[in-house]
Amino acid sequence: MRRKTLSITVNGEPVEADVPANRLLSEFIREDLALTGTKRGCETGVCGACSVLVDGKALKSCLCLAAQADGASITTIEGLGSRDDLHPLQESFMACGGLQCGYCTPGFLIAAADLLARNPRPSDDEIRQGLSGNLCRCTGYQGIVDAIREASEKMNGH
Amino acid sequence: MASTVIGQPVPQVSALEKVQGRAVYAGDLAFPGMLHARVLRSPYAHARIRSVDVSAARALPGVKAVVTGADVPERRWGVAHKQQHVLAKGVVRFIGEEVAAVVATSESVANDAIDLINVDYEPLDALLNAGSAFDDDAPQVHAEGNLAHEIRIARGDVDAGFASADLIHEDVYSTQSQYPGYMEPMATVATVDGTGKLTVWTATQSVFLARQRLAEALDRPVSTIRVHQPAVGGGFGGKIVEERSSVIAAFLATVVDRPVRLGLSRLEDFQSGCFSVPTRIRLKMGMQNDGRIVAKEVDILAECGAYAGLAPEVMLVTAMRSDNMQRIENVRSRARLVYTHTMPRGAFRGFGGTQMLFALNSHLATMADKLGIDPVDLHRRNAIRTGDTSVHGWSIGSCGLPECLDQVTGAIGWSAKRERPETGGVLRRGIGMAAAMHVSGNRTMGNWDGSTVTLKVNEDGRAVILTAESDMGQGANTMLSQICAEELGIPLSHVTVLAPDTDTAPYALGSIASRVTVNAGHAMLKAAKQARDQILDAAAAKLGCDAADLSIVEGVVQSTVNDNLFAPLPEICRYHIFRHGGEGILVTATHDPRTVMMDKDHYGNIAPAYSFAAQAVEVEVDTETGQVQVVETWLSDDCGRAINPLAVHGQSNGAAVQAIGWALHEHLQFEDGRLMNGNLADYTMPTADALPRVNSSIVESNDPNGPLGAKGASETAILPGAPAIANAVYDAIGVRITDLPITPEKILAGLAALGEKNHASV
Ligand code: FES
Ligand code: FES
Repeated sequence: MRRKTLSITVNGEPVEADVPANRLLSEFIREDLALTGTKRGCETGVCGACSVLVDGKALKSCLCLAAQADGASITTIEGLGSRDDLHPLQESFMACGGLQCGYCTPGFLIAAADLLARNPRPSDDEIRQGLSGNLCRCTGYQGIVDAIREASEKMNGH
Repeated sequence: MASTVIGQPVPQVSALEKVQGRAVYAGDLAFPGMLHARVLRSPYAHARIRSVDVSAARALPGVKAVVTGADVPERRWGVAHKQQHVLAKGVVRFIGEEVAAVVATSESVANDAIDLINVDYEPLDALLNAGSAFDDDAPQVHAEGNLAHEIRIARGDVDAGFASADLIHEDVYSTQSQYPGYMEPMATVATVDGTGKLTVWTATQSVFLARQRLAEALDRPVSTIRVHQPAVGGGFGGKIVEERSSVIAAFLATVVDRPVRLGLSRLEDFQSGCFSVPTRIRLKMGMQNDGRIVAKEVDILAECGAYAGLAPEVMLVTAMRSDNMQRIENVRSRARLVYTHTMPRGAFRGFGGTQMLFALNSHLATMADKLGIDPVDLHRRNAIRTGDTSVHGWSIGSCGLPECLDQVTGAIGWSAKRERPETGGVLRRGIGMAAAMHVSGNRTMGNWDGSTVTLKVNEDGRAVILTAESDMGQGANTMLSQICAEELGIPLSHVTVLAPDTDTAPYALGSIASRVTVNAGHAMLKAAKQARDQILDAAAAKLGCDAADLSIVEGVVQSTVNDNLFAPLPEICRYHIFRHGGEGILVTATHDPRTVMMDKDHYGNIAPAYSFAAQAVEVEVDTETGQVQVVETWLSDDCGRAINPLAVHGQSNGAAVQAIGWALHEHLQFEDGRLMNGNLADYTMPTADALPRVNSSIVESNDPNGPLGAKGASETAILPGAPAIANAVYDAIGVRITDLPITPEKILAGLAALGEKNHASV
C-alpha cells in the first residue's frame, strides 16, 4: 500500500503522520490518534456517529480518507470543550436529556455545532433538518432538539 | 421537605463523560499486543459443511490463528434449548451463521485472511417460511422437528363466553421482525492472563448472564471467567444472551492467549444480531353490547429462526401478558414457535408484548367501531384496576391506566378531533389510540428476581456502589445514585457507581424485564438505610447523644433537638473506621420481591409491579402516495413514581420513536433467506427530520411494592405506538392494516379495495 504524509491540526495541536493511502479519516482518528470519542456506527456515511469538524464544517470521517484531510484543521469531540469549560451544547445535552447511551452523542454535538455556526437561531424544524444525517436510537431526538434550542438561546444571550 | 434528588430531572451520572466523548465502549479499548478478529459467515441458509480449507489463510503474514467448527468445544450453549456451538459444526442453518474465524495483527489482515478460507458446502433444502414449517415435505431445521415450543393456556369458560356475546369479531394480524438498531454495533475485547483467567469486556445487558453463557460455550468453570461491562451503546434486548460475537471473541482469546478485539461492522451486526420475533396472530373476541369483553381466543404462530434462544419466553409474553390488562375471565390461547433456516429472533424491548398489543388494540378499535362506542371508553370499561387479581393471577398493586388514557386523550384533543367532519381531499388526517401493560421484574428467570447492591461509604463520606445491574443508557446508575444520595443525605456528585464486573459486584440478573428500578432500587434503598444507621450510631457515640435524634443533611450529621450538636460526615466515617478496628462502612443488601412463580398452567403473580401506558397519535395519510406521517403523538407512562423524570421522558420518547419505526418504516427484506437491506441506508430507522415533536407525560400511581413507589419505565412505552398509528390510519382513510409495517403499497391497495367496494355498492 502506498503511504501518504499528512500534516494537519487536530484539536489545536499540529499532527504529522505517515498513513497508508487507504486509511480512513475515522480510523486514523480512532486508531492512530486514539481519539475514541469519534464513533463508528455504520462506516457508510449514514449514522453520523463519526462526525468531526473539518475546517469548521461537520464531516462524516468514515467517508473521507485521512490523506484527503491534509492541511486541514480538525476538531473532534475531545476538542469541542473541556471538562472545566464545556461547550454550551455539551451543557445543554446533559441538562435536557440529549443523550442516553451516549454513543451517538459526539456525532450529534459536532453536527449541532456546525448547525449553530451556520444558523445561530434555528427553528425546531431547522434543527431537525440539520440533524437529518445523524441517527440516535435512544432519545427519540426530542431531548436533542430541546438541547440545541437551549444552547442556541444561551449562546445568543438569552 | 421536598427532595432535592428524588423526582428531580437530573442529568445522567454518565452525562459528563459522554458529552466529552470520554465514555469508554468495548470497541474503544486497546491493550498492548492486542490482535483483531474477523468472522466468516455462511452464504447458505441450510448446508452441510463438507470441509474447510484454512491453509492459505493460515499462511498469510500477520495471521495468528484460524479456527473452524472443528476446533470449538463440543458443548452446546443456549437458553433452554442447548443448540449452538461457538462456530457451526457440520451444518449451517442460516445465512450469516459463523463458520470460521481469524485472528490477525490488524483488521485488514484478518479480512484478507477470511477471503482465503475455502469452505466446501453441500447445499440443502431450506425452510424459509414459518407457515410451511409443518408441511409434510418441510426441511427439518433440527432433528427434533420444526416445532420449537408450544404453549396452551385456558381459563374460564371460553365457549360459554362466546355464546353470551352480542358481537364476535375475528381477524388475523401479522408483525414483522425489528432490528434493535442500537447505535453501537456489538464489540468485545477478551484476553487471557498469565494464570489462564479469561477476562472479557463486552457490550452486554447482563455481565453475569454473559459469564454463565461463556462458561457453557467454552466449557470451563464460571470462576475462570471475568466479565466487565464497559459503556454500552444501547441494547434494547439485543445484548442479553442471544448475540454470538462475544462468545466467539472470548474463545479466540483462549486460542491465541493474547488480547483479541472483535468489533462488528454494521453489516455484520445485522447478520449476527438478534431481531424481534415475527408473529402471525389469529384473534377472536366476544363482547357484550356495552363493550364488556366476555371471551377471547388467540392462536399464535411465531418464528424463532434457526435457534430458540429467548424466543420461547418471548412467545409466552405474546400469548398471555395483555390478558392481564383487562378484567376478563374467559381466555384461551395456543402459541407455537417454529424454527426456520433464518437468523435467530428473540428478545427485543417489549419482549413479545408489542406483537400482541398491536393485534389487541387494533381489534378493540374495530369492535368499538362496530358497537358505536368510543375506543377510549371501551378501554376504560375493561381496564384492570388497582387491587384486582388478573385472570392469570397477577396482583395489580397499582394501575394508572385510566389516568394515562385521560392524559393522552386530553392532550391530543380526542373528542374534538373525533367529531370533526371528514374533509376528503388528498391529505387526510385521523387519530388513534392504544393502551399497554408490562411487567416490572419477572420471577420466571429462575424462580427468583432479587437484586443485591453493595454500598461502601469512604472515609470522606462519599459513596461507592457495586452492582451488576447494568446501564445501557437507560439511566439505572443515575436512579441508584439518586436513591443513595437521598438516603445518605449527600450530594449526587458524591456517589459513584462502579461498572459491572463479575469478580467484584454481587450477583445480578441485569437489565432485562424492566426489573432494575423495582428490584435494585429496593436493594439500594435498604443498603443506604443500613449504612445511614451505622453512620448515625457512630455519630451518636462520638457526640454523646441518641442516634434517634440524629439525621444527615447535606453531608453533615446533625442533631434534630440541639442545633449545636453536629459533625461533618467525613469526621464520622473516619471515626467509624478508627473505632471499629479499621472496618469502614460497607453494607450489602438484597431485595427479593415476594412474587409467585407461575405454575405449570402459567398462573402466578410473577412481578412485584406492573406498569401501564397509553398513547394517542394523529396521522396524515397522503392518499396519492400512500405515505403516512405521524403529525402528533402523546404518550403517557404509569411508572409508579418517576425517580428521574428526565430519564422517564427519555425512555418514553425513544420508545415512541422506535415504535413509529416499526409501524411504518423498518422492514427487513429477505430473499431466499438472505437479508437484503442489512445496512442503515436501506433499513430505515426514523431520523429527526421525519418526526414531529414527541410528547410524553407521567402518571404516578405509587406502587406499594416499588421503591419509593417506582415501577419500571423502559419497555411499556414501546408497546402502544404501532396500534395507535394503525388505528389512526383507519380513522383517516377507512383502511384497516392488519399486517405491519404500514407501507405506502398497503395503503394504496387498501384505498383501491375500498374504492371498488364503494363503487360496487353504488
Ligand atoms: S460511521 Fe460514519 S456515518 Fe456512520
Ligand atoms: S443516545 Fe443512544 S443512540 Fe443516541
